[in-house]
Amino acid sequence: MAEPKGGYFGKMLEVDLTAGKSTVRALDEAVLRDYIGGEGLGAYLLYKELPAKADPLSPANVFMMLTGPFNGTACPSARLNVSFKSPHTGIYGHSQVGGPIGNEIKWAGWDVVMLKGKSPKPVYIAIHNDKVEIRDASAVWGKDTYATEEFMKEDLKDDEYKTMVIGPAGEKQVYFSCIIVDRFRAAGRSGGGAVLGSKNVKGIAVKGTKAVPVVNVEAFNKAAKEAWDLGHNVEAWAGIKRWGTGGLMEFANYVSGSLVTKNYSTSWFADVNMIGGEEASRTFWKRHVSCPNCPIHCMKLGVVRTGGNYDGLIAEGPEYETGVMMGSNLGISDLDACMKGIETCDAMGLDTISTGNTIGFAMELMERGILTPADHDGMKLEWGNAETAIEMVNKIANKEGKAGALLSLGVKRMAEKIGKDSIKYAIHVKGQELAAHDPRGFKPRGVSYAMGQLGGCHHEGNSPEGQAIWAYLSSMVLCSFMAGVPWSKRNPGIVCDMLNPLTGWNTTPDEYWATAKRIITIMRSFNIREAGISRKDDVLPVRLRTEALPEGPKKGAVFTDEDTKKMQDDYYAYYGWDENGIPTEETLKKLKLDFTVADVRKKA
Amino acid sequence: MSERSPDDIDRPEVSNTSRRCFLKRSAQLAGGIALAIQPLAPALAAEAKPAAPAPAPAAKKPEDRMKYLFVQREHCTGCRSCEFACSQFHEKGIVRPGVARIHVKRFHGVVDIPVICWHCEDSPCVKACPTNPKAIAKDKDTNIINYIDDKTCLGAKCNKCIEACPANFLRRHPETGKPMFCDLCDGDPHCVKACKAQAEDTAAAMRASKVGFGVNLAYRDVTPKEAAKALHTSLFYPNKDGERR
Repeated sequence: MAEPKGGYFGKMLEVDLTAGKSTVRALDEAVLRDYIGGEGLGAYLLYKELPAKADPLSPANVFMMLTGPFNGTACPSARLNVSFKSPHTGIYGHSQVGGPIGNEIKWAGWDVVMLKGKSPKPVYIAIHNDKVEIRDASAVWGKDTYATEEFMKEDLKDDEYKTMVIGPAGEKQVYFSCIIVDRFRAAGRSGGGAVLGSKNVKGIAVKGTKAVPVVNVEAFNKAAKEAWDLGHNVEAWAGIKRWGTGGLMEFANYVSGSLVTKNYSTSWFADVNMIGGEEASRTFWKRHVSCPNCPIHCMKLGVVRTGGNYDGLIAEGPEYETGVMMGSNLGISDLDACMKGIETCDAMGLDTISTGNTIGFAMELMERGILTPADHDGMKLEWGNAETAIEMVNKIANKEGKAGALLSLGVKRMAEKIGKDSIKYAIHVKGQELAAHDPRGFKPRGVSYAMGQLGGCHHEGNSPEGQAIWAYLSSMVLCSFMAGVPWSKRNPGIVCDMLNPLTGWNTTPDEYWATAKRIITIMRSFNIREAGISRKDDVLPVRLRTEALPEGPKKGAVFTDEDTKKMQDDYYAYYGWDENGIPTEETLKKLKLDFTVADVRKKA
Repeated sequence: MSERSPDDIDRPEVSNTSRRCFLKRSAQLAGGIALAIQPLAPALAAEAKPAAPAPAPAAKKPEDRMKYLFVQREHCTGCRSCEFACSQFHEKGIVRPGVARIHVKRFHGVVDIPVICWHCEDSPCVKACPTNPKAIAKDKDTNIINYIDDKTCLGAKCNKCIEACPANFLRRHPETGKPMFCDLCDGDPHCVKACKAQAEDTAAAMRASKVGFGVNLAYRDVTPKEAAKALHTSLFYPNKDGERR
């Protein structure tokens, strides 16, 4: 076992919550080189550490916070990855989150923090460099995310700790509960909040003062400066700096025809001007906020100041996903109410995408009479009724009443429970609700939803090659706005230029592509082992394959069976999987994944 | 739920011109396709503030050296690039914000305040240093405060300069326990050069050239906590309970 020379500390902190003990484990340089970190290393460790077919909400599940080689270095915009077996989808679950905590974990001297077992009482974990404490959190059990953050900083008597917390939804183990970093940033997808809640962990606070070792400082800093400049100087990013992703709402409505509206029934929302980026910048936004060492400052903080019920509400957004899912998807055309919905999700610790999608689904079922107010606590969910929608968010978070219990199941389980025609309107892939881009209007996004290893996630890459790039970037835990478009012309060269002087390796573009394929394939292997995922699961929801868009710039577009077949065939061919979507033995061996052969080929 | 009427708020009509520009811009933003850029009609005219003066150019002659730091706090995006640059300069190219002289603190969960040395005229830290001879000194010409001989400093056994610092700026080095002073990178501060907060934001002419450092004297002599309170109050709006959260 070789120790890494640079870019990593080669150390993993394993916290056994059942015993209340922590141990230090070494990470082998060869493993780090094969899986890089973040998503890739997470999949590898989960494959090795998790007993096959373990219940995601049992103490057996493994929760990991993973950094990448670039966290805590001069490379811009490094984030944090959390990985676990998802309680929402039953397959590999991971989520990326911005904010300072990824770097802080690295500066504390850890590449990975792994939580195992279950604490007997509510706790939070405080990490200050090598010092690890498991502290009582009973006082804030049941409190919202912001109060929890404040409590942890006060309890530790140091406001320089960076925090990551769950809200009431995570405690109640709502399947799509999220983890909130720095009050406004969320590791949203796949239900990481529920996994932490099942372990009785309310949060993690980290403070680090170490430095990441670099093998060749001068060469690394030069490449990192180039990477920073690429991100800063992209002309197209002026819009992201100015409007964040919220500005894409108008674009999706008027140009790409992919603005999700009223539970995917259309992609045209006449009132988009009332909730989009321009409206937000006129009436709501106050500040631009950045992730560490990032010049793009895509996050917008604002305060409601237009009078009315929500006056004085401080919130973050609307981002493209949050604004669409809590706005046009619910037919809401009041920005203040939309922001209240988003803020409630953040405070309660719910994934805004899944929450918005689930409420939209229920609204449609009610409109069609499949669900009635009588069996829904008398609540009448209808398009554009923001107050009821916000009340519903609170009910989901607390699993309150019949309505809260039903909607906290998420779209797939709801459809299974309700039956009837509801499956026609259920918008999910592999149990994960789709995000705010309609793949009928923008077909490449269908690849991300249908073929991505996370289920219906918009962030997995829009082509087979795109998914390989994303897998690598997510393993380095870099941001898509920095490492995606801005670096695209210099990729993978820019990555190798930074990685080699940092670590002392000699990674080539060929190795880059092989590593990316290895990461995708091990995630697939894990999904096959846990849930028998195959070709039949790699499809978009029925509605997107059968109903054409009724209006808007892409009127008449539908994701046809030919589109699906071509997408699947191209994808399996690119990764060397068989026609059923199962990696072949040859591919597995070529990618040094021999240990998965028995599990994977058994299913074929 | 109260409906907002157009009278509630000054909400300019979206003209065709700006709509078109916006779509163009959105197209660039989504696809990364370079299109010709038209300056956008400033939508934020009502919120416009006078543009900050450009930061001082890199010091070459002694009289051009920067002698003070000033922070335009309302422009700070909390990216901590200044911390990265500071530690890179002082730690031989290695990033280590834990020992950066400048540090950005977040207050009330919503405002970021860069905490800097004021380079006070009367240097209370130097006055407070109890050793004889003193461990630290300030150079009158350059305003640099630094160790004369850091072996003289008592480190963790003493807290005098940290207590005396009116800016709440001084922090201890995590290993040596000795406080870290701002030497202004010998008159050419790297934090200032690294700051690109909201700079070159070509989409919004009103916000162009805003960087987090300026030369406004009003930004000095306010403690980080007071500064945070002032910024919090001026940016955010109280809710019905009179709270800002």
